[in-house]
Amino acid sequence: MGVPFEALLPYGIIMTMFGVTGYGLHYVKRFANDGKKARWNQDLWDRQMMERDQRITGSFRGQSSNHKAPTGFEVSNPWKIENRIY
Amino acid sequence: MAQRDARFNQTVLVDTTPMPDHIPKVEEIGATSAPLMSAAYFIGDRCKVFNDDFMKCKAEANGRGEIDCLKEGRKVTRCAASVIKDINTHCFDQFKAHWECLENNNHQLWECRRPEVQLNNCVFDKLGLKKTLPGAPENQVPVHLRPKQKYAQYPGPQW
Repeated sequence: MGVPFEALLPYGIIMTMFGVTGYGLHYVKRFANDGKKARWNQDLWDRQMMERDQRITGSFRGQSSNHKAPTGFEVSNPWKIENRIY
Repeated sequence: MAQRDARFNQTVLVDTTPMPDHIPKVEEIGATSAPLMSAAYFIGDRCKVFNDDFMKCKAEANGRGEIDCLKEGRKVTRCAASVIKDINTHCFDQFKAHWECLENNNHQLWECRRPEVQLNNCVFDKLGLKKTLPGAPENQVPVHLRPKQKYAQYPGPQW
């Protein structure tokens, strides 16, 4: 009077599908972050530093330890603009 | 107006006009966020006087600091660039190990104490710069010298 094996098949499917979503999300996040672990809990400072990283290296997660900025860095600083309200 | 509608300032303007010639030029720092985080305490050690001078100038400039404190600001930039350059020259491997660890761990210093200790030793031997935590309690071991880090993913001693 054991449990028939057909009753366990859905559990196998459920576990497989949770695994697919979990690993899929892991790889998609890695791909979006240049193969590094994703940043989390970023504040405004972190975000603006990542924008600065992009101005230096061309990628949000790219890093460089040069002491000299690339040519044109000093004029590539963006101004945040907003429509006039009056 | 009784209410202010939501406005999104997501557009940016990149003005490529260089600074006028009467303002002396300074080379901007090319290090990105993780190397700057890694070198921050050494920059603070060597450049403390310049940084304090700049902040004092800005505090006393009554809101005109961006214009009046350009000279102090150039000193700050040059000093920080000199620290980055020296660390790159003398401790490149340890520096790279530390900032790559930081970059992979959300820039959280307590995850990377092992490369940090090696970097600190190398920088202290070669450049004489020491990491100190300003304002830390005197009677306790500073947090960066404790082998166990409370919030790290690895719970044991990191070195």
